[in-house]
Amino acid sequence: MASYTVPVKFPTTVVGSYPKMPQAEEAIKRRKAGEISEEEFLDLVKPAVRDVVNDYVWAGVDIISDGEQARDDMVVYFAERLGGYGRGDWVRVFDNVYFKKPIVTGKVEWLRPMILDHWEYATSISMGRPVKAIITGPYTMVEWSFDIHYRDKRELVLDLAKVVRRELEELVKRGAKYVQVDEPALSTRPWREDAELLKEALDIVFKGLDAKRIVHICFGRLERIIPYILDYPVDQFDLEMKNSNFRLLPFLKEYGYNKELGFGVVDVHIHQVESVKEIEEAIDKLMKTDIVGPEKTYIKPDCGLKRQQRETARLKLKNMVEAAKRAREKW
Amino acid sequence: MRVWASTLGGFSRSRLVRRVLRDYELGLTSYGDVERTLLEASSAIIGVQVASGLAYVTDGMLDWHDIFRPFVESWRNVTPTGLLRFFDNNFFYRIPRFTGLPEPSRLVLAPRVRKFAPIAEPSGFKVVLPGPVTFALMSSNESGYSLEELSEAIANILAGEAKAAVEAGASMVQIDEPMLTDPEVSRDSAVLAAELSSRIASASGPARTILALYFDVPRADVYEELLNSKVQCLSLDLIDALERALKLTASKGFGGHCAVLGLVNSRVVHEDPIDKLSSIAGKALKDYSGEEAGLTTSTWLDLIPYDYSVRKARILGLLAEKLAHSRAWELVWRAG
Repeated sequence: MASYTVPVKFPTTVVGSYPKMPQAEEAIKRRKAGEISEEEFLDLVKPAVRDVVNDYVWAGVDIISDGEQARDDMVVYFAERLGGYGRGDWVRVFDNVYFKKPIVTGKVEWLRPMILDHWEYATSISMGRPVKAIITGPYTMVEWSFDIHYRDKRELVLDLAKVVRRELEELVKRGAKYVQVDEPALSTRPWREDAELLKEALDIVFKGLDAKRIVHICFGRLERIIPYILDYPVDQFDLEMKNSNFRLLPFLKEYGYNKELGFGVVDVHIHQVESVKEIEEAIDKLMKTDIVGPEKTYIKPDCGLKRQQRETARLKLKNMVEAAKRAREKW
Repeated sequence: MRVWASTLGGFSRSRLVRRVLRDYELGLTSYGDVERTLLEASSAIIGVQVASGLAYVTDGMLDWHDIFRPFVESWRNVTPTGLLRFFDNNFFYRIPRFTGLPEPSRLVLAPRVRKFAPIAEPSGFKVVLPGPVTFALMSSNESGYSLEELSEAIANILAGEAKAAVEAGASMVQIDEPMLTDPEVSRDSAVLAAELSSRIASASGPARTILALYFDVPRADVYEELLNSKVQCLSLDLIDALERALKLTASKGFGGHCAVLGLVNSRVVHEDPIDKLSSIAGKALKDYSGEEAGLTTSTWLDLIPYDYSVRKARILGLLAEKLAHSRAWELVWRAG
């Protein structure tokens, strides 16, 4: 396998999702319709994963993902593959668009690897670039599901933490060096008790895991939860910054932030491609605030790129990588 | 004491409604089909509420994509834009962008009232308005006017909506100000919300008026200001943060307003424990001296699947009956 050296300063990475390729869309539809097995589904999605990896490599991203091509939704995908979840029912997401919000109907259980296959495939074609293993976290799984079995949020979150842990163990065993848990729901309920519950869950998820441990949180009231999460058992917080105009930086400074920082410099909610200069200025802003140094700063988009057009996503990443290169010379 | 019940707002869409709206978007069906389906589906929703013994019912607002949209689409100088998360839900609304002060081009509520209020008999018909402060704070203000000026312009149009709705037959007007439960909302916003909701209330004539606060519990200082509103009833979500809610009602009461308690949890699908909710109602009304109280859902019923939203309306009716029976209160099941 080819080897690849991740830059020491300002490594570039992604949060996870990428615009869905047509092959993946089609495979998801056929699987939902019961026309194909899980194995056939995973195989049919692989060309889409290949396209994503090729885009990352073209843009020059250092630490990549499989683009989450198999996932129709970040919660539903896992709910459909775990024990304890029953069939969901339609709930509106926006306008006349719905998702089948999963329902916990029994004790949640890990049954088989859920993201391993595409992680391994992406790794095999990444030309040595590390591939992040990315999974939806237990708090977000609970917040975005219904529950008619546990009726106790803490108990369910902690049981799901064990499930996530089991999945990540599989990945680390196969060589994953970067593991990321996505917890976007946390910032929507910025209360101490919720943050503490997630800490308890992350202790279960990450304890003793031999990989770089990352938690991704985005949008909402990040500044309110910062004081409650600094002692999480993680190496890196992967945070949205650009969309909220970097308003989090003074708070990180104030609270003495000292972990690695996944620094969001590309807004995933706008279709305009950020210029290299604009991204460079964002990096400069972080460096001048003197919170973390270049060795602890990972340059990345705010969140997953799935809502962008593929061409826009490619260009956004390309400019991001170029800005990181220039920043390495400067800092 | 008299006790009545009414769901807080909209209902989820049934399969039929989802399908006809999708087909219409794809150009596969006519607007006439959409209207006919909505009439049938709304009538069914009204029937569920009436049969559940709810004194005031809504048409379910099945065609509203979000609480602001029908108004945004009926006013000039404002357009729906990108998506943003609606509070802490996995639901997104389109951010209204104001490029000037809004001007109404048609009424939203009165035509609905004329269509649906007669079906609601013997219950009263309730209309729901987005509160002007929530509307302004959750919009992108490129109007060149201040937030206060924009909120005031919105309130003036909404007051006209309320007046026309009441003239058309609405017997209850609810003003939703969920942003006032945001932990970071300013006291000034609360002062403004109290003033503007009073303005809408005074345009509502003989109808009962409610200021509805949900998704969380307002801060004590914000709540104090909201108590100055001239609406008749104040509705609080008791379920999202029970301890804080009970602390607030114990310390501040309802300021002479009719208390409306959001008790049936409309963001979960499990059955609500009616005995426990009765006990919570008792605690919230411990020092309450009003002559009537309302019971409602913690928020709108559009965040859960359709069948559960129907079930929750029934549970709300059962809760009202149980409470009235156990405490020898008079159950109001039709609009008086």
